Amino acid sequence: MLNIFLFAALPYVAVFVLLVGSYWRYRTDRFSYSALSSQFLEDRKLLWGSICWHVGILVILLGHVLGLCFPGVWQAIVANRTILLLVEFTGLLFTILCVIGLVALAIRRATSGKLQIVSTPVDFAVLGLLLAQVLLGLWVAIAHRWGAAWAPASLSPYLFSLVTFNPNIEYVQDMPGLVKMHIAGAWFLLLLIPFSRLVHIFSIPFEYLWRRPQKVVWTNPRRFTQAEEQVAVAEDRRVFLRAGLGLSAGVALLGVGTADKMVRYFKGPEMTPEEEGDLLAKKLERLEQTSEQRELELERIRAAYIRVARLDELTANKGKYFTDYQMRPALAFLGSDGLPTLISAKCTHLGCTVGSDLDGDGRLLCPCHVSYFDLKTGAPNAGAPAKSPLGHLGWALMDESGNVLLSQNPSGVREGSADPEALKGAIVCIARRFEEAKA
Amino acid sequence: MNISEKIHDAVSFATERIPLHKFDFYSVVHKKEVPVHKLSWAYYTGGLALFFFMIQLTTGLMLLFYYQPTVSDAHASVEYLTRHVPMGALIRNMHTWGSSGMIACVMVHMLMAFAMKAFERPREITWVTGVLLLLITFGFGFTGYLLPWHQIAVNATKVGLQSIEEAGRYMPGGLADLPRQFREIIQGEPSVGQATLSRFYVLHVILLPLSIFGVLGLHLLSVQLHGMSKGVDQPTKKTERFFPFFILKDFSLWGGAFLILFIVALCLPFESFFSFPLFQPYDALGSTPDGIKPEWYFYFVYYPLELLPFWLVMLGQTVAVGGLFAAPWIFKNTSRRSLSIIAGAAAAYLVISTIFGQAIYEMIKGVH
Repeated sequence: MLNIFLFAALPYVAVFVLLVGSYWRYRTDRFSYSALSSQFLEDRKLLWGSICWHVGILVILLGHVLGLCFPGVWQAIVANRTILLLVEFTGLLFTILCVIGLVALAIRRATSGKLQIVSTPVDFAVLGLLLAQVLLGLWVAIAHRWGAAWAPASLSPYLFSLVTFNPNIEYVQDMPGLVKMHIAGAWFLLLLIPFSRLVHIFSIPFEYLWRRPQKVVWTNPRRFTQAEEQVAVAEDRRVFLRAGLGLSAGVALLGVGTADKMVRYFKGPEMTPEEEGDLLAKKLERLEQTSEQRELELERIRAAYIRVARLDELTANKGKYFTDYQMRPALAFLGSDGLPTLISAKCTHLGCTVGSDLDGDGRLLCPCHVSYFDLKTGAPNAGAPAKSPLGHLGWALMDESGNVLLSQNPSGVREGSADPEALKGAIVCIARRFEEAKA
Repeated sequence: MNISEKIHDAVSFATERIPLHKFDFYSVVHKKEVPVHKLSWAYYTGGLALFFFMIQLTTGLMLLFYYQPTVSDAHASVEYLTRHVPMGALIRNMHTWGSSGMIACVMVHMLMAFAMKAFERPREITWVTGVLLLLITFGFGFTGYLLPWHQIAVNATKVGLQSIEEAGRYMPGGLADLPRQFREIIQGEPSVGQATLSRFYVLHVILLPLSIFGVLGLHLLSVQLHGMSKGVDQPTKKTERFFPFFILKDFSLWGGAFLILFIVALCLPFESFFSFPLFQPYDALGSTPDGIKPEWYFYFVYYPLELLPFWLVMLGQTVAVGGLFAAPWIFKNTSRRSLSIIAGAAAAYLVISTIFGQAIYEMIKGVH
């Protein structure tokens, strides 16, 4: 029964009284819609008490609101051990700050003689209740560790059930007594707001940040100029404060964003084993390609003959790419006489590699600047960007055991016998001696 | 004239150009004023180029942590960076877009400085170092293009280097082979390969940055010593203090530029303007793919090379670069009006050859 009253009835009563009471107070007694300032009467202890308390409670309330309003996100965040420790530590630190502030305020209100005149019983009640509530919270935090992690899980659904007018006290009725007292205390404090100085939480003077400073108009000329100067100084300070706030907010955002990206960039990717495997396979393949290339280079330094292809692998219309002794690209075709035609594939214009397909006129195309080269003569077409012909390469035909059957030097002079039967299955090679002859 | 007089002349020339006695807190911070007139916007272009340079420096340093400059790994490491490393694509895009931004700013800065006759005595050194910076910036563009080692990069670099060899055609017998040898010295081997990659890498990340630091230092120092040039013929009555007013506006502009660069880099990969097969790893044994082109900022010399005789382009280029270096002496007595007309014509040429180059090329050569 008590549970139903405290956790299902009291919340609605409190919120209803809060809304109606606040509205009523605002309509009937607008100038009391704030906390009565006593800075004029005592300002030393107020500085310590008020600032400690307000800074502390703002951070603590922010934590409560975030945790209870966004339980999913919040729990995902505090699932990280380091963050949870950090949150708990921050919470504890600011709770202690609250306690220090409240105690200072209470001592001040109880001991300052001037303050006695303006203090009402409600002021003391507020201080006492707040202190009790904060101490309860502190106690909960110590007695039932890791509230940041467990509280949203059960209290958030409870609040949600209240908001949807479907109150479900099952979420809270079996909580430890301390927790239940803390929750009930919160509802009592809400109830108290419209009847106490607590109402000032609805009248935060944000506009002080941007409203123009108020000017006191004096009839005394000396005071008048003084006031003008003061306003100017205040105006300056206000502009500076605003610009500073904006700038530091911007810089902070930029810093956080950049730092986040930098950290993730340098931390590197987290890849699945599959992705990692693909990546390694690709790297290995590239390394193999490079090693093939290196082997080609080595062969060109050492070998007297380099295999291009078997004669019967060559075709008349599509050339086979290979690299010559200078590691430049070249193409091998089968000529009309059944013997190979080897031609440089490095365009004489700007060194692109020409395509390997012969067009209908028996020409090769360089795709970079559109030059056509005749396969037979190597000459470029008239008006092509390339001016000089592609050179033909000498070749040698070899049998399996490495005997040269027939060879042709770059100028087309042949040596050996061209017996078609013997040349079947012969291997087309380029020969170092033709390179040396050219040089 | 004896030697001591010559030394005296040289010293007075130097002290007039680099008046180090003016380099103190008072003249640099309190006295520096920026003229206010209708061309005042041009005073921001240099700062913007500096901003892009700083972006390039930062993102470039970050890219170095992942890039591997070998023919077998270069392409794979860039791909890894772009596909897998968190924010890798963003950093790389910022670097590529930033390079374009830097070159665009440097070009506008140069044209405006020319039109405003900012090279007038005693600012010759500012101008000459500025031209050097322009060339170094182009050097950055050319060497950086090769590093990802994909088809378009390697083939475009091959073509670019091969055009050096073209000059051999115009040389007398014995010298005809010199350009080829020169090219092979740059490449490090007869065809573009590992040696070329290593050399371009060193140029791009060590030599060019070192030289740009030196030249940029001199450039900025002389700007500080002489202040902004007045830029217009009729003396301006209004000026604005450099600190804090001008520099604050400068910083806001940088903030805007950063925002734009960031968003563009986040949303638009630089490659999206090329056909994708060009980004396959370089294939040494295959034919050169279609559509090999340099970066857009070389179009102004690329399309003439395609369309005009080689010697004419080389001649034009030599005259242009020589003219740029010697501008303070050649155009000593030219009015700002004439200079603006020349700069306007140059700007029109740059814009037309860059934007319509391909269209003009296709029109003249027939559709390719």
